[in-house]
Order: sequence, then C-alpha cells, then structure tokens
Amino acid sequence: MSYIDKITVENYRCFYREQTARLAPLTLLVGDNSTGKTSFLALLRCLWDYAFAFQEPDFKLEPFDLGSFDEIAHHRGARGSQASTFTAGFCLNPYRPLITALSKAPFEFRIVFGKQGTIPIPIERHMRGGAYWTRESLEAGKPPNIQIGTSQGSWNIVLPENVKLFSSTFRRPFGISMLIQSFFTGFREEKELEEIFQPISSSPSFQAEDAKALNNLAKILQVVQGDSEPASVGAPVRSKPRRTYDPAKPAPDPEGDYIPMFLANEFSLNREGWNELKAELEKFGEKSGLFNDIVIKRLGQWGSAPFQVQIRKRGQRRKGPYRNLIDMGYGVSQVLPVVTELVRAHQSPLMLLQQPEVHLHPSAQAALGSLCCRIAGSSRQLIVETHSDHLLNRVRMDIRDKTSALKPEDVSILWFERSDLDVRIHSIRIDAEGNIADAPPNYRRFFMDEMRRSLGI
Amino acid sequence: MCAIVDANVAGEIFGSKRTPAGEGFFNWITNGNGKIVVGGKLREELGRSQAFLEWSLDAVQTGRMISLTDDSVHARTAQLQKDAKHRSNDPHILALAQVSGARLLYTNDRRLQNDFKNRDIIGHPEGKIFSTGTNKDDTIHYGKFTQSKKRLLERAKCAR
Repeated sequence: MSYIDKITVENYRCFYREQTARLAPLTLLVGDNSTGKTSFLALLRCLWDYAFAFQEPDFKLEPFDLGSFDEIAHHRGARGSQASTFTAGFCLNPYRPLITALSKAPFEFRIVFGKQGTIPIPIERHMRGGAYWTRESLEAGKPPNIQIGTSQGSWNIVLPENVKLFSSTFRRPFGISMLIQSFFTGFREEKELEEIFQPISSSPSFQAEDAKALNNLAKILQVVQGDSEPASVGAPVRSKPRRTYDPAKPAPDPEGDYIPMFLANEFSLNREGWNELKAELEKFGEKSGLFNDIVIKRLGQWGSAPFQVQIRKRGQRRKGPYRNLIDMGYGVSQVLPVVTELVRAHQSPLMLLQQPEVHLHPSAQAALGSLCCRIAGSSRQLIVETHSDHLLNRVRMDIRDKTSALKPEDVSILWFERSDLDVRIHSIRIDAEGNIADAPPNYRRFFMDEMRRSLGI
Repeated sequence: MCAIVDANVAGEIFGSKRTPAGEGFFNWITNGNGKIVVGGKLREELGRSQAFLEWSLDAVQTGRMISLTDDSVHARTAQLQKDAKHRSNDPHILALAQVSGARLLYTNDRRLQNDFKNRDIIGHPEGKIFSTGTNKDDTIHYGKFTQSKKRLLERAKCAR
C-alpha cells in the first residue's frame, strides 16, 4: 500500500501561489477558522477518488460543497483577477516493492482543472515516476493529446486508425497504461511503432528497446492504480441519535447516519466481526471514560424488528443498567460514528476526518488522539482537521513514549496561516522526544498572547 | 536560538522579580526566535515555579520549549560527575547543554558560568552567558537589557 506524502496546490480557493505540504500516515490540519482546511480536504478527496476510484472530480460531493468553478478557482477581488485554471497534485510514497524496483523516485500525479460551463474539470493530467512521465491534454469529446517520456527520449503518441478508443479509457487517469500495453501486446512492425511514437524536438526516433521502458511505465501506472477505494470522509456534524432504528442496508454517509444500521448488521450477520468491533469500541469507550459496554438490543423476535443501540457506563461496584444511546451524553453519540469508522475492518486506505473531537471532554479528545496514532500507518492514512490541543498533545506524547507503531516521521502537522488574501500551509514536524519542530514564528501566537496575559506580564 | 535557563533566574524571567533583561529574554522566547531546552533535574527545578509551568504548557505546543527525555540527561550528568572537570554544583545543566546542543545559558552563578565557557566540558561551539550580574547594588548595570545582551540573543544558535 502506498500513501500520499505530498500535496501541491495552486490557484485553488485561498491558496494562490504554488505550494507543497507534507502529508504523512497521520496528518493533523490546524489553524484559524476559514483558512482553507476544509477546502484542502475536499481537494484531497477529489484527487484520490479521481486517481484511484475512477470518479470524476466532484467538488460538491457531501460533506463538502465548494460550489462552482468561480467559487473554487482563486480570486483576488479585482475584475479579471479570477484564475482561469487551478492545479493540484500529489506524490505517492513509493512503498510498494514493485514501484521501488522500477523507479526509486516517488510517483507524482498532477491535474490542471479548467472550466466547463460552471463545473471544474480536468483539462491536463501529468504523471511522473522517476524518468518516466506522461502528459495528457484533455479536450471534451476528443481523444487526448498524449506525450510520453523516458530517460531515452520523449514522444507524441499518434493513435493509429485501427486502434479503437473508448472514451471511458481516457476518463480514467491510468487508462494510458492500457493504451501503452496495447501497442506492445500484438506484434507490430518497428516502422508502425515509429509512426505511433513521434519524437518531440530532439528526441531520437522510437527504438525497440524503448518499448521495454514504456512497458515499465505502464507497470508503474498499474501498480499505483491498485488503490481503488474512494476516500472515506467523516463530517464535523454527525447525525442526531434516535430512540429506535429500523433495520436497513447501511449506506455510508459522512454524517454517520448509517452507523447504527451497520452495527446492527454486523451483530446479526457477522458475529465474529461484531465481536471484534465491539471489543474495539469498548476499548476506546474505556480509555476515553465514555462507556464500558455497547450492545444492540432488538425490540422483537424478528430480524425486521426495530432495534436500539445501548450503552453502559459501569459503576465501581455494580455494573449498572444499559441505556439507550440517545439518553447518554451527546459526546457518546457524536463520537460513535468516528470511532466505528476508524476501527472497523475493510476501510478505505485514505480517511479524512473533520473535527472528530466535537462535543468531547478533553480526556476523550486525548483518547481519540491515541486511537488515531494506533490506526494510522502505511496501509491507512488519516488526515484529521482538528481544533483540539488535547488530541494533538496526545499524539505528541504517544510518539515520544512509543505507545504506538507510529514514528515521528509518520506524523505531519499542517498549520494553515492566513496572510492577507492568501493562506500559506506550513509543514510542522514532531521529533522523537515529542517536541514541535520547524514551527514558524506566528504558530499559536494567540495562545502565547493569552498565556502572557494570564501571567500578567 | 536555543537557550538554557538556570532555575535561580526563573523569577527574573517568569516571576515577580522581573528585570528588564529578564523581560527581554522572555520576549525572545515567547514572541521572538528563541527557544529553551529543558530535561532532567532542571525540569524539576523550573517546575517549582507556577509561572514557568503556565508558560511551558503553551511553549511546548508552540515549539518554543524543547523537552528532552530525562534518561539521556541523567546519563550524561552521571558521566560528567565521573569526569569531575566541573566546579559548579550544576552538572545537570552542563549535561543538558551537551545533549541538546544549546550554547546559551541564562545564569548568575559564577562557577556555572565558568564551567559553561570551559571548552573541555562544553566542547564546540563555545558556550555563551546571558547574565544580569550578581551585584544588585550596582544599579547602573544590574538587570539592564543592554545592546550586547540583545545581540547575544540575536546570534544564539541551536542545533535543534
């Protein structure tokens, strides 16, 4: 599994000049309100889903609604100052052994978005893995203009008439790998290949050994494409608990409305999975001090009978009664979807969370920080937008105390700093002793000023 | 940009006995480019000041206070005591400088100042002293935030 270790953005929302932020298996987004953290998450989701889940970029998909192109492309206020395109890209850590074998360099993916009507659509795609690169110019209704390069040279691809083009092939970012391989699977005369691959400027004409290099490129693209699940997104506002639920097929949604149905399904149909999930939920419940036990209570004999999610907070001597989720503090019902998404099996490799700490007591916020440390890794990347010092501090301490497998380099703090009309993203590290490293001078200035006032000096 | 604060001057920086120099130092570590390092016995000593504790809670989250694991400082302190090259009774501060790379020390303890400037103990780069003096009757010099002190802070370097 690979994870995104860099993201680049330009002319997108409040991000003007091109800038790059370092991502890690666990990335915490911090900063004032309206500094682009949610826009950043929406972009990340679009890029991931476009690259790996074959979904057209949709900046209006819940829980994000960034509006039309005019609201998304950077605008500096004056007439004519709206950007006509915006660019975003990411870099994949070359964790997969095959990629590493083919190219030691990280894999880069970059999209230029243009405007079609009111909607932002990809108009250029760039991919690079070491010396191998592709550039596709996409024009609606036409086959893409494709350029391709290796260490030996670069070529324009001129498609032969007998190659059938399916528009769906090119809607997929990695469709080009199929195209490249199709050139070399059947026997083609060298002359025919020379006609397909026309050298750019001073590049040499296409040789037989170039085919091997391009096959390597196609392999890299196919390996990268392997991560093919949409990003999972947790919204900052979770659905209100209900007194009873009717059994239904759980359909994931960012507000976690489906979580009770999912729990009931696991309870009824996958007892082994339920037991594991229940154990994980109760482990978090105990560490956070929120609850000790969770059960699904059916209100009838039949599978179609309504059910309740019941929670128990044990006393010191007696276990005490189970209570309906709706009768517990709001924090319990609000964090349950977040924790379930984090601990359940078969999850997306990329999970985006917005303010998972809302309604939680500081001790539970800290426990959530520990849970994030435990879950994040090379096979599961967590990007968490948070305003919680308690969550962040717990992450620092868990890194220092080595209470999870996460290493200092596996955590990145991105601080979004507003500067005039723009926002700058600062990448901040945590060192092996849990210290904040590389913090810019204004980082947490408000808190230092408040502390100073509190000290009366 | 890293400094060590001796516990005997904590009041000048964080507490009620603030001097202009202490205030300048406080501004440097709170709003300027300065950082302080703590660890080992010094952490316990500074922790007795409520004002320092309050400052440190925010400073550690801002990256303005670097906290080292006590074990590494304790181990180096033990080694220094064995080598017995120092004259002060603060080998834990010298150990902290060695472990952290901090080369600026805020202290008014003369023996400690000499040890901190001793290259046989501190090594390279050499240690620098930020001091408000020892003679409180010297109203001209005591506690002033002089140009040379400002320059000292501006030039302070830290490996971290």
